Amino acid sequence: MATILEVCEVRKNYHMGKVVVPALRGVSFDVEKGEFLAIFGPSGGGKSTLLHLMGCLDRPDKGKILIDGSNILKLSDDKLAELRLTKMGFVFQFFNLLPRLTSLRNVELPLTIAGLPEKETSKRANEMLKLVGLEGRMDHRPFELSGGEQQRVAMARALINDPKIVLADEPTGNLDTKTGWEIVELMKKLNKEKGQTFVVVTHDPHIAEAADRIIHLKDGLIEEIKKAPRRNKQ
Amino acid sequence: MKLSKILAMSWEGMSQRKFRTSLTTLGVVVGITAIISLASLGEGFRLEIRERMQTGFELENLTVIPGSFFAGLSKEGFIDKDVQSISNISGVKVATPLMQVGNVTLYNKNETVRAFVATAVNFTEFVKIFPDRFIFEDGKLPTEDRNDTIVIGYRVNHPTENETAPFAIANDNITLTSRVLQINPPNPPFYKQENHTFTVAGTLQKRGTPGITNFDYWVFIPLETARKIYNTQESQLIFVKVYDHEESERIADEIEGLFPPFSVTILVPLTFIKQVDHILTVVQIFLMAIASISLLVAGIGIMNIMTVSVMERTREIGILKAIGAKSRTVLAIFLAEATLIGITGGLIGVFTGYGLSHVLAYGLSGLVQTQQQDAGFQPPDAQRMSINPAFSPEWTIIAFVFAIIVCIIFGLYPARKAAKLDPVEALRYE
Ligand SMILES: Nc1ncnc2c1ncn2[C@@H]1O[C@H](COP(=O)(O)OP(=O)(O)O)[C@@H](O)[C@H]1O
Ligand SMILES: [Mg+2]
Repeated sequence: MATILEVCEVRKNYHMGKVVVPALRGVSFDVEKGEFLAIFGPSGGGKSTLLHLMGCLDRPDKGKILIDGSNILKLSDDKLAELRLTKMGFVFQFFNLLPRLTSLRNVELPLTIAGLPEKETSKRANEMLKLVGLEGRMDHRPFELSGGEQQRVAMARALINDPKIVLADEPTGNLDTKTGWEIVELMKKLNKEKGQTFVVVTHDPHIAEAADRIIHLKDGLIEEIKKAPRRNKQ
Repeated sequence: MKLSKILAMSWEGMSQRKFRTSLTTLGVVVGITAIISLASLGEGFRLEIRERMQTGFELENLTVIPGSFFAGLSKEGFIDKDVQSISNISGVKVATPLMQVGNVTLYNKNETVRAFVATAVNFTEFVKIFPDRFIFEDGKLPTEDRNDTIVIGYRVNHPTENETAPFAIANDNITLTSRVLQINPPNPPFYKQENHTFTVAGTLQKRGTPGITNFDYWVFIPLETARKIYNTQESQLIFVKVYDHEESERIADEIEGLFPPFSVTILVPLTFIKQVDHILTVVQIFLMAIASISLLVAGIGIMNIMTVSVMERTREIGILKAIGAKSRTVLAIFLAEATLIGITGGLIGVFTGYGLSHVLAYGLSGLVQTQQQDAGFQPPDAQRMSINPAFSPEWTIIAFVFAIIVCIIFGLYPARKAAKLDPVEALRYE
């Protein structure tokens, strides 16, 4: 399998006044194309920080992050934005939908930003919403949807630009167990059908078990990387 | 991101906070209203003044007076050679001297009137200078060959408003009493009272011209006759008519060049009008500068509100950036908001400005009229001062563009603040 994303010796500190908070203290691993990867660990372990770096939302202090072989440290902010727009899809714990926009408008937002004509954006958003099972909720605004539905809308938004990598930060963290599993199932399904790479951050071991590979992150360091048993059997 | 989408996004952001946006826009409306109404009223006022001055001043007529405001060689009076030299300047239609006789008393049978301004002129030339004002109510212009004719101004002939019969009519023989300075060395000079008989050639119509040459109060006698009576060849004024008033300043310079420096003063209506116009322009700019302050205040309001709005929408900005919006896209969304406020406020302001200036013009016109009636020096037929707001499309566009520019400038700070937000920080923001 080809490597789509490489993390090499990545360090990241946060500064709170004079206090330096180390969030990542030298982390290295590869992400394979089409893989379903879980980043698992206790709260405050640096999972979100790592995901943000992988998603080009931030730059590491030290180390390299290579996406398709190119180092994001060398790219301008605009180039990073472009990378996010064309290659990344984000799903957040708190859904992060724009509250005044309908589901359809929220989903088509990445394409709108990309400057695509409205005819195409709404057609593709329509398809995406059908794919996540929300054909009946196109014109609802976020506050008119349940948590699970909102997260499906967020999934549709993350997938509409046909990204190479989908990055999810605690996507089930704000949902009840059953709904959370439905989201995980949906991600698994999309991963299998479309071959997109998924990186899912979670502190829930059951969710992590669903992945192909689990990276244990604790106090900014990788404790262990292990392949999921089920996957191994296949 | 497409401009239409950016605008749509800004519009949504604004319509979500209608009340706040309306108040912000109101600031711009007030600013533009002030600018537009002051500009159009000022312009209307200027036009009214200019029109009044142009009818009051005969632009083609220059008046040459001996002496000047500066100390220096003062000229006693003019001689015919001076008049001849002025006539020879190119662009001069006619130049004619005027001799002051001072105030005189006229007797017609047992009626008596006084004329404060008695002048001696060459009638044929004089009427060429003032064709519009030297118009007869009765009788006609005296011919050159007669030396005992007199022309009487309206107010002299009708000393009181409700007089039924005029003092004199054409062909009446009247007596003119004046004082003549007698210089008979070694005796000290003294004034001697003299009586002369004149035949009324005509009486003038009422003109009510404001200014120093209000013929209503004048009487005119032939120049040659006056020269004999007073035993002098000098005259105190020269009236000059030019063909084209645009040339009047050049001609005035040439006339001045005929005399020693600072020995004559030339009244050039065009120069005066230009100066008044200039002063009015300065006043107008000053007023607009004051009005512009209100627009700046509106700009600060925009900055204030948008800064709050950026803070409130921090998370939203984070989302936009996370899904791939560039900094300049975020900048554009917020600048578009400021621009929309500018356009909306500007448009409304232009209309309310038009409306307000009409209301103010109406009020001001009434005010000016009341004061005029109190003023004793004004001729009773002075027309009502009507200030009509004058809207120049240029100024309207300038004000409108100014509104938008102010909004953009003050929107720039919060918009940049939004654009510079770090997406990770913005997403963490609660
Ligand atoms: N913006 C920040 N400023 C200061 N400290 C931060 C910031 N973001 C994260 N941290 C700290 O970095 C560490 C890792 O945080 P995070 O990556 O959010 O962990 P996780 O997602 O695993 O809970 C934590 O100790 C957290 O307090
Ligand atoms: Mg986290």
